Amino acid sequence: MKQLIVKVQGEAGLHARPAGVLVKKAGEFSSKITLEKDGKAIDAKRLLAVLSLGAKQGDELTITVEGSDEEAALEAVKAVIEESH
Amino acid sequence: MFGFLNKLKGIELCSPLTGEAVELSGVPDPVFAEKMVGDGIAIKPTSGTVVAPCDGKVVQIFPTNHAVGIETSTGLDLLIHIGIDTVELKGDGFKRLVEEGVSVKKGQPILEVDLKRIEELGKSIISPFIITNADEVEFKEYKMGEVQAGETVVLVLKKNK
Repeated sequence: MKQLIVKVQGEAGLHARPAGVLVKKAGEFSSKITLEKDGKAIDAKRLLAVLSLGAKQGDELTITVEGSDEEAALEAVKAVIEESH
Repeated sequence: MFGFLNKLKGIELCSPLTGEAVELSGVPDPVFAEKMVGDGIAIKPTSGTVVAPCDGKVVQIFPTNHAVGIETSTGLDLLIHIGIDTVELKGDGFKRLVEEGVSVKKGQPILEVDLKRIEELGKSIISPFIITNADEVEFKEYKMGEVQAGETVVLVLKKNK
Protein backbone atom coordinates (compact mmCIF):
# COMPACT_ATOMS: atom_id res chain seq x y z
CA MET A 1 0.00 0.00 0.00
CA LYS A 2 1.18 3.50 -0.80
CA GLN A 3 -0.13 6.83 0.37
CA LEU A 4 0.45 10.45 -0.53
CA ILE A 5 -1.11 13.81 0.27
CA VAL A 6 -1.61 16.19 -2.65
CA LYS A 7 -3.10 19.64 -3.05
CA VAL A 8 -5.80 20.41 -5.63
CA GLN A 9 -4.34 23.01 -7.98
CA GLY A 10 -7.16 23.82 -10.40
CA GLU A 11 -8.95 27.12 -9.75
CA ALA A 12 -12.40 25.52 -9.99
CA GLY A 13 -11.46 22.45 -7.93
CA LEU A 14 -12.30 18.90 -8.98
CA HIS A 15 -15.31 19.70 -11.17
CA ALA A 16 -16.66 17.46 -13.93
CA ARG A 17 -13.80 17.78 -16.40
CA PRO A 18 -10.80 17.14 -14.12
CA ALA A 19 -12.80 14.55 -12.21
CA GLY A 20 -13.55 12.81 -15.51
CA VAL A 21 -9.88 12.80 -16.45
CA LEU A 22 -9.01 11.49 -12.99
CA VAL A 23 -11.55 8.65 -13.09
CA LYS A 24 -10.43 7.62 -16.58
CA LYS A 25 -6.79 7.58 -15.49
CA ALA A 26 -7.60 5.67 -12.29
CA GLY A 27 -9.51 3.11 -14.35
CA GLU A 28 -6.35 2.24 -16.27
CA PHE A 29 -4.88 0.60 -13.18
CA SER A 30 -5.86 -2.60 -11.44
CA SER A 31 -4.93 -1.24 -8.01
CA LYS A 32 -7.62 -0.09 -5.63
CA ILE A 33 -7.39 3.71 -5.52
CA THR A 34 -8.98 5.74 -2.74
CA LEU A 35 -9.18 9.48 -2.25
CA GLU A 36 -9.81 10.94 1.15
CA LYS A 37 -10.78 14.43 2.21
CA ASP A 38 -11.77 15.48 5.73
CA GLY A 39 -12.21 11.87 6.79
CA LYS A 40 -14.40 10.96 3.82
CA ALA A 41 -12.84 8.20 1.69
CA ILE A 42 -14.14 7.37 -1.79
CA ASP A 43 -13.38 5.13 -4.76
CA ALA A 44 -11.38 7.18 -7.30
CA LYS A 45 -12.78 5.11 -10.15
CA ARG A 46 -16.34 6.35 -9.57
CA LEU A 47 -17.09 9.80 -10.97
CA LEU A 48 -19.99 10.76 -8.73
CA ALA A 49 -17.97 9.72 -5.71
CA VAL A 50 -15.05 11.92 -6.79
CA LEU A 51 -17.41 14.86 -7.39
CA SER A 52 -19.05 14.29 -4.01
CA LEU A 53 -15.76 15.20 -2.30
CA GLY A 54 -16.44 18.77 -3.43
CA ALA A 55 -12.67 19.31 -3.56
CA LYS A 56 -11.76 22.96 -4.05
CA GLN A 57 -8.50 24.62 -5.00
CA GLY A 58 -6.01 24.25 -2.16
CA ASP A 59 -7.81 21.32 -0.54
CA GLU A 60 -5.61 18.43 0.52
CA LEU A 61 -6.48 14.95 -0.68
CA THR A 62 -4.95 11.74 0.58
CA ILE A 63 -4.41 9.22 -2.21
CA THR A 64 -4.19 5.58 -1.14
CA VAL A 65 -3.33 2.90 -3.66
CA GLU A 66 -3.13 -0.82 -3.12
CA GLY A 67 -2.34 -3.44 -5.74
CA SER A 68 0.20 -4.76 -8.19
CA ASP A 69 0.58 -1.49 -10.10
CA GLU A 70 0.29 0.81 -7.10
CA GLU A 71 3.47 2.76 -7.75
CA ALA A 72 2.49 3.79 -11.29
CA ALA A 73 -1.11 4.41 -10.21
CA LEU A 74 -0.02 6.74 -7.43
CA GLU A 75 2.17 8.77 -9.80
CA ALA A 76 -0.55 9.02 -12.42
CA VAL A 77 -3.31 10.08 -10.03
CA LYS A 78 -1.04 12.59 -8.31
CA ALA A 79 -0.19 14.13 -11.69
CA VAL A 80 -3.85 14.48 -12.68
CA ILE A 81 -4.82 16.17 -9.39
CA GLU A 82 -1.87 18.53 -9.46
CA GLU A 83 -2.29 19.45 -13.10
CA SER A 84 -6.07 19.78 -13.06
CA HIS A 85 -7.56 23.05 -14.16
CA MET B 1 -41.50 -6.46 -8.20
CA PHE B 2 -39.66 -3.45 -9.54
CA GLY B 3 -36.53 -5.52 -10.03
CA PHE B 4 -38.55 -7.90 -12.15
CA LEU B 5 -40.06 -5.05 -14.19
CA ASN B 6 -36.63 -3.52 -14.70
CA LYS B 7 -35.32 -6.80 -16.04
CA LEU B 8 -38.24 -7.10 -18.37
CA LYS B 9 -38.51 -3.57 -19.71
CA GLY B 10 -35.18 -2.10 -18.76
CA ILE B 11 -34.67 0.96 -16.59
CA GLU B 12 -36.29 4.05 -18.06
CA LEU B 13 -34.90 7.53 -17.53
CA CYS B 14 -36.76 10.69 -18.45
CA SER B 15 -35.19 13.84 -19.78
CA PRO B 16 -34.08 16.22 -17.02
CA LEU B 17 -34.78 19.20 -19.31
CA THR B 18 -37.29 20.30 -21.93
CA GLY B 19 -35.76 20.89 -25.32
CA GLU B 20 -34.07 18.89 -28.07
CA ALA B 21 -32.16 15.71 -27.27
CA VAL B 22 -29.02 15.19 -29.38
CA GLU B 23 -26.12 12.77 -29.49
CA LEU B 24 -23.35 13.21 -26.96
CA SER B 25 -20.84 13.47 -29.79
CA GLY B 26 -22.38 16.86 -30.65
CA VAL B 27 -21.16 18.41 -27.39
CA PRO B 28 -18.26 20.86 -27.87
CA ASP B 29 -16.19 19.38 -25.03
CA PRO B 30 -14.16 16.19 -25.54
CA VAL B 31 -14.65 15.06 -21.94
CA PHE B 32 -18.34 14.58 -22.76
CA ALA B 33 -18.22 14.02 -26.53
CA GLU B 34 -15.65 11.23 -26.17
CA LYS B 35 -17.63 9.72 -23.30
CA MET B 36 -14.80 10.03 -20.79
CA VAL B 37 -17.23 10.61 -17.94
CA GLY B 38 -19.79 8.10 -19.17
CA ASP B 39 -22.45 7.52 -21.82
CA GLY B 40 -25.74 9.26 -22.37
CA ILE B 41 -27.23 12.08 -24.39
CA ALA B 42 -27.19 15.86 -24.43
CA ILE B 43 -30.12 18.26 -24.39
CA LYS B 44 -30.35 21.68 -25.97
CA PRO B 45 -32.74 23.15 -23.40
CA THR B 46 -35.55 25.56 -24.15
CA SER B 47 -36.61 25.88 -20.52
CA GLY B 48 -34.39 26.34 -17.47
CA THR B 49 -36.00 23.98 -14.97
CA VAL B 50 -33.87 20.88 -14.32
CA VAL B 51 -35.88 17.98 -12.92
CA ALA B 52 -35.06 14.51 -11.57
CA PRO B 53 -35.07 11.97 -14.46
CA CYS B 54 -36.28 9.24 -12.09
CA ASP B 55 -36.54 8.53 -8.38
CA GLY B 56 -33.24 8.77 -6.58
CA LYS B 57 -31.02 10.63 -4.17
CA VAL B 58 -29.17 13.86 -4.88
CA VAL B 59 -25.63 12.93 -3.89
CA GLN B 60 -23.85 15.96 -5.21
CA ILE B 61 -24.58 19.52 -6.29
CA PHE B 62 -21.46 21.38 -7.26
CA PRO B 63 -20.97 24.59 -5.19
CA THR B 64 -21.53 26.61 -8.37
CA ASN B 65 -24.88 24.84 -8.93
CA HIS B 66 -24.06 24.00 -12.57
CA ALA B 67 -24.05 20.23 -12.20
CA VAL B 68 -25.90 17.67 -10.14
CA GLY B 69 -25.19 14.04 -9.35
CA ILE B 70 -28.02 11.61 -8.63
CA GLU B 71 -27.86 8.03 -7.40
CA THR B 72 -30.96 6.25 -8.64
CA SER B 73 -32.92 3.69 -6.67
CA THR B 74 -32.00 1.26 -9.49
CA GLY B 75 -28.25 1.64 -8.85
CA LEU B 76 -27.26 4.09 -11.56
CA ASP B 77 -25.00 7.12 -11.11
CA LEU B 78 -26.34 10.08 -13.11
CA LEU B 79 -24.68 13.38 -13.88
CA ILE B 80 -26.63 16.31 -15.27
CA HIS B 81 -24.21 19.00 -16.36
CA ILE B 82 -25.82 22.28 -17.42
CA GLY B 83 -23.96 23.96 -20.25
CA ILE B 84 -20.29 23.75 -21.18
CA ASP B 85 -17.48 25.40 -19.20
CA THR B 86 -20.20 26.75 -16.91
CA VAL B 87 -18.04 26.06 -13.85
CA GLU B 88 -16.36 29.34 -14.86
CA LEU B 89 -19.57 31.30 -14.23
CA LYS B 90 -19.15 30.61 -10.49
CA GLY B 91 -22.88 30.18 -9.95
CA ASP B 92 -24.12 33.16 -11.98
CA GLY B 93 -27.42 32.13 -13.59
CA PHE B 94 -27.84 28.98 -11.47
CA LYS B 95 -30.03 28.33 -8.45
CA ARG B 96 -30.48 25.08 -6.54
CA LEU B 97 -33.97 24.10 -5.45
CA VAL B 98 -32.99 21.14 -3.27
CA GLU B 99 -29.99 20.34 -1.09
CA GLU B 100 -27.50 17.49 -1.24
CA GLY B 101 -28.62 14.30 0.42
CA VAL B 102 -32.34 14.65 -0.25
CA SER B 103 -34.41 12.01 -2.00
CA VAL B 104 -36.18 13.20 -5.16
CA LYS B 105 -39.06 11.88 -7.19
CA LYS B 106 -39.17 11.69 -10.96
CA GLY B 107 -40.04 15.13 -12.34
CA GLN B 108 -39.15 17.01 -9.14
CA PRO B 109 -37.36 20.33 -9.89
CA ILE B 110 -33.72 20.34 -8.74
CA LEU B 111 -32.14 23.41 -10.33
CA GLU B 112 -33.44 26.59 -11.89
CA VAL B 113 -31.21 27.92 -14.65
CA ASP B 114 -31.37 31.30 -16.40
CA LEU B 115 -30.53 30.05 -19.90
CA LYS B 116 -30.52 33.54 -21.39
CA ARG B 117 -28.04 34.75 -18.78
CA ILE B 118 -25.69 31.86 -19.48
CA GLU B 119 -25.72 32.56 -23.20
CA GLU B 120 -25.16 36.27 -22.52
CA LEU B 121 -22.10 35.27 -20.53
CA GLY B 122 -20.83 33.47 -23.63
CA LYS B 123 -21.36 29.82 -22.67
CA SER B 124 -23.08 27.04 -24.58
CA ILE B 125 -26.24 25.81 -22.83
CA ILE B 126 -26.07 22.32 -24.33
CA SER B 127 -26.37 20.01 -21.33
CA PRO B 128 -24.91 16.49 -21.12
CA PHE B 129 -27.01 13.92 -19.26
CA ILE B 130 -24.69 11.04 -18.42
CA ILE B 131 -24.69 7.64 -16.77
CA THR B 132 -21.29 7.77 -15.08
CA ASN B 133 -21.19 4.06 -14.20
CA ALA B 134 -21.88 3.26 -17.86
CA ASP B 135 -19.63 0.19 -17.72
CA GLU B 136 -22.23 -1.45 -15.47
CA VAL B 137 -25.13 -1.00 -17.87
CA GLU B 138 -26.21 -1.87 -21.35
CA PHE B 139 -27.85 0.93 -23.34
CA LYS B 140 -30.99 -0.32 -25.06
CA GLU B 141 -32.41 2.93 -26.43
CA TYR B 142 -31.50 6.57 -26.88
CA LYS B 143 -34.27 8.98 -27.79
CA MET B 144 -33.42 12.03 -29.86
CA GLY B 145 -35.49 15.05 -30.84
CA GLU B 146 -38.08 16.98 -28.92
CA VAL B 147 -38.29 16.02 -25.23
CA GLN B 148 -40.28 17.13 -22.18
CA ALA B 149 -38.64 17.34 -18.76
CA GLY B 150 -39.75 14.52 -16.46
CA GLU B 151 -42.04 13.06 -19.12
CA THR B 152 -40.21 11.88 -22.23
CA VAL B 153 -38.18 8.69 -21.75
CA VAL B 154 -34.76 9.42 -23.28
CA LEU B 155 -32.70 6.42 -22.13
CA VAL B 156 -33.59 2.78 -21.60
CA LEU B 157 -30.92 0.72 -19.86
CA LYS B 158 -30.25 -2.72 -18.52
CA LYS B 159 -27.99 -3.24 -15.53
CA ASN B 160 -25.24 -5.85 -16.01
CA LYS B 161 -23.90 -5.98 -12.47
